[in-house]
Amino acid sequence: MPTIAVVILVLFTAVLAGVVVVRPAITASRAGKILAFGVFFFLPLFSLVAGMENEMGRSESTAFCLSCHIMEPYGQSLHIDDPSYLAAAHYQNHRVPADAACYTCHTDYAMFGTFEAKLGGLRHLYIYYLGKPPLPQDIKLYKPFNNRECLHCHLGARSFEQGATHNADPATLPAIKANTLSCISSGCHDTVHNVGRWGDKVKFWDGGS
Amino acid sequence: MHRVGSMSRRLRVSGIFVITGLLVEALCLVWSKPIAFVVLVCIGGALIGLGVLFFLYSLVSASPHTTDSYTVAPDK
Repeated sequence: MPTIAVVILVLFTAVLAGVVVVRPAITASRAGKILAFGVFFFLPLFSLVAGMENEMGRSESTAFCLSCHIMEPYGQSLHIDDPSYLAAAHYQNHRVPADAACYTCHTDYAMFGTFEAKLGGLRHLYIYYLGKPPLPQDIKLYKPFNNRECLHCHLGARSFEQGATHNADPATLPAIKANTLSCISSGCHDTVHNVGRWGDKVKFWDGGS
Repeated sequence: MHRVGSMSRRLRVSGIFVITGLLVEALCLVWSKPIAFVVLVCIGGALIGLGVLFFLYSLVSASPHTTDSYTVAPDK
């Protein structure tokens, strides 16, 4: 449900509840009782669920992740004009949805991946507001990046399955698929965001949103 | 003279909880910051939940004749 529709629903419910609060005598009739049940039970709970669902959806957006000050350099890294930067190449070429770039790569494509991603987000919030947030360049993943997240899209793709480097050694492709040879940290695709290590020569692409 | 029964008072209290919670929720929905979700759940959700629970409690705790107080006299 779009945000504006949820806001209208919430305000509509609040106005109806206000009517019953100001004029409780209207609940004397059967219609008034139904109205009271609707505005004090059904509509508030429905509004709350709709609002939470809306917020959960919003939390997957790139803009949401980058709204934290500490994430700004990571947002800038998506615009680096250099295809060797993995995150930038994926974002600029729409290999991931541009409006959900962070979430697409950093969620966990396992059974409870979305739930764990949300818990991780709450942990970020706790550290950001109540803890001692690290400098952007000192941010580390909680656990090593699992190839499963890459293979969610690349598995079966011709460029991956028949890529010259992936097939130079017959053991490489099975090792990647078994997550024993990391895509990111084995020296093949290790330039991801590289925040704090850009140097002076890095250029930025001014396209995208 | 308008007499407000205990059921009316309970409805008003639960209504105030629900309305406050809904207003908090509306603010969170237009506030595009990560903390908005936490505020929505912890404050808005808690207020709405309290209002709903108090409403349900007022229903189950009402005596059969409590609702008669609504019909004593309309507002002037």
